[in-house]
Amino acid sequence: MSAQLESFTYDDAIARKFLIATWLWGLVGMTVGLLIALQLVLPGLNLGPWLTFGRLRPLHTNAVVFAFAGNAFFCGAYYSTQRLLKTRMFSDTLSNLHFWGWQAIIVAAALTLPGGFTQAKEYAELEWPIDIGIAVVWVVFAVNFFATIARRRERHLYVAIWFYIASILTVAILHIFNNLSVPAGFLKSYPIYAGVQDAFMQWWYGHNAVAFFLTTPFLGLMYYFMPKAAERPVYSYRLSILHFWSLVFMYIWAGPHHLHYTALPEWASTLGMIFSVMLWMPSWGGMVNGLLTLRGAWHKVVEDPVLKFFVVAVTAYGMATFEGPMLSVKSVNALAHYTDWIIAHVHTGALGWNGFLTFGMIYWLLPRLFQTKLFSQKLAEVHFWLALFGMVLYVTSIYTAGLTQGLMWRAFDETGRLAFPDFIETTMRLMPMYWTRALGGLLYVSGVVLCGHNILMTWRARPARYAEPVVQAPPLPRGYAREPGAAAPAGAWKRFTSLGWHRRWEGLPLTFTVMTALAVIVASLFEILPTFLIRSNVPTIAAVKPYTPLELAGRDLYIREGCFNCHSQMIRPLRPETERYGEYSKPGEFVYDHPFLWGSRRIGPDLAREGGRYPDLWHVRHMEKPRSITPKSIMPAYPGLLTTPLDFAGIQAKVDAMAMLGVPYGEAVNRAPEMARAQAREVAARIVEQGDRRRLEDKEITALIAYLQRLGTDIKKGGAGAQAPAAMSAAPAGAR
Amino acid sequence: MTLTDVMSNSGLAGYAVVAMILFMAVFVAIVLRIFAPWRKREMDEASRLPLDDGDDARARPGVKR
Repeated sequence: MSAQLESFTYDDAIARKFLIATWLWGLVGMTVGLLIALQLVLPGLNLGPWLTFGRLRPLHTNAVVFAFAGNAFFCGAYYSTQRLLKTRMFSDTLSNLHFWGWQAIIVAAALTLPGGFTQAKEYAELEWPIDIGIAVVWVVFAVNFFATIARRRERHLYVAIWFYIASILTVAILHIFNNLSVPAGFLKSYPIYAGVQDAFMQWWYGHNAVAFFLTTPFLGLMYYFMPKAAERPVYSYRLSILHFWSLVFMYIWAGPHHLHYTALPEWASTLGMIFSVMLWMPSWGGMVNGLLTLRGAWHKVVEDPVLKFFVVAVTAYGMATFEGPMLSVKSVNALAHYTDWIIAHVHTGALGWNGFLTFGMIYWLLPRLFQTKLFSQKLAEVHFWLALFGMVLYVTSIYTAGLTQGLMWRAFDETGRLAFPDFIETTMRLMPMYWTRALGGLLYVSGVVLCGHNILMTWRARPARYAEPVVQAPPLPRGYAREPGAAAPAGAWKRFTSLGWHRRWEGLPLTFTVMTALAVIVASLFEILPTFLIRSNVPTIAAVKPYTPLELAGRDLYIREGCFNCHSQMIRPLRPETERYGEYSKPGEFVYDHPFLWGSRRIGPDLAREGGRYPDLWHVRHMEKPRSITPKSIMPAYPGLLTTPLDFAGIQAKVDAMAMLGVPYGEAVNRAPEMARAQAREVAARIVEQGDRRRLEDKEITALIAYLQRLGTDIKKGGAGAQAPAAMSAAPAGAR
Repeated sequence: MTLTDVMSNSGLAGYAVVAMILFMAVFVAIVLRIFAPWRKREMDEASRLPLDDGDDARARPGVKR
């Protein structure tokens, strides 16, 4: 082996940039979170049309997931990758392109989401031009990252790098397949999947966005920064390898647990549940590994805010990954789904795991990146306690809210009727918990503000010019070489288990990446493809017809306003649900739903059978002033729908895009606007008949009402036995 | 005949068990491989990589090169 040393420096400027961005977007994302928390107790804070809950909630989730946690991952990854591989990043230009590209995407999200431009899929709301931007920036990151690995001076890829590789690869796969859609104009598109299949793809994506954007990247960070802060190696490197392979293999199967008791085929839901329960093991292996890294160093936790943050982060990871498998068990899920319990669960993960790990990392990095002392250790301690109390207040109150509402929804009285038939009763009961949650959020955000002060003051004390220490390491010999002096092990079994072949793999990031991809993709093949390709999974219903052009336009308004953030359209076959909402939802009812709008949280009641429940006029008044109909309603008012003209001309493009996806639109592909106008006149005439004299026939409200009145009515038209045998007609939806 | 026809009529249910056996076998192989006693030294070396990143002198605030 050559003893010639090569000299090089690390690029810390890029880590500094990402660190500042992490803090900034963290503050923005969490402040929006605080605002929407307050909107639930003070509905007057919904300043329409741009700042309503339905439009801001996706902004909050996108900002904290992709902007805050995303930038934190990049910051830590750029810092640690260079050091673990003993090389500078492949290209500073690509690093900077990645940074500015990512910030541009965040800004685009912050502008389009309040504008109502959304694909209506959770954590994948951004419209197609931005999606293409994300793909391009991700490729820039990946090229830079893999080229850096290729130029490394350390043979063995440390386990943190494995986690980074798995994240980069899987996020790319998830992003591309979930966002396949047909544009219907600039900033408007329909996914190529419909109904059950769209739901399956979305939660395959949604669950793994949590897995591969919030879990694996942060585990990579944990496996690097925890040993650094504790100044000792990770407790068990072997366990970390087992943790890695088990996680990347199992996580990808777990998505269907988001769809228990929905119209998803039951085998898929059961499979998702089983893999979720299995995930408990590797997750806790990882947690234990993180905590035991502190063996013999616990006394340091007392003095070091960095370690305090890390300990809470890893503990929160343990709690969230215990709860996740528990929530994925069907009987638990039947209670928890659609309630705030899920919101509590994600915040244990986001505030506890991602937030605490990020802030611990920031405090560890500050003196090193800015080459000075941390401005105030004390302030960091205060931040820690504020964040901890904030998180505990937030989480406990929202757990209570979730359980309360879940139990109230399913409560029957002694006569066998729903104990709380008015949905609003179950909402009002949550108000004290919602206030407590907002207080918890306020404490957490205050901590972030203190962190900002610490960053600013530390930055101000930086040296006039950053020192660039020169590091020396020998280059890697070309090709794989056994360590000098080591003889080849004798015997095939010995050779196999001595892992020469595995070392070779690790030396070849390409092969390693392919194996990781295989571990991830195998689930997609066994779990997702059958749903698309085996007809019995989505029995069609002859009576279900496509939406009329006006209803389609109304559906797009429903999407624009983010109604699906608070209203589900999926009645589970459980007695409390069928009592409250009507006949349970069937897979065949959604074959024209591009995208599916099943929702995941019932802040308001389910709307799957809303059609015909109330007169048209009720909807007009309810949209204009929700509290004139339901005095305690927390729904935002939408008076703008009664005054804004409907874009009739634009409906043709929508119908055409749908027709392209295989929705049988017939004559509507030629005269959608005329058909829409005719139906709008009928709706408007009914409203006049019911007692409102205003002329609404060319306003948006008519389209929305037409859509709402259609919801869930098709199967009633078909008469008894509308459920046709599977083979009667080919499912029109799906990617073939 | 489309791919959907082929998949719908080929009776694939039994293959779930085959998949389970394959997955189990891969898992056992990984565990054996990772915990093989003669790999201990190599694993210990790998676990020290974060602590040996070449610029630790700078890592301590106030210490400049």
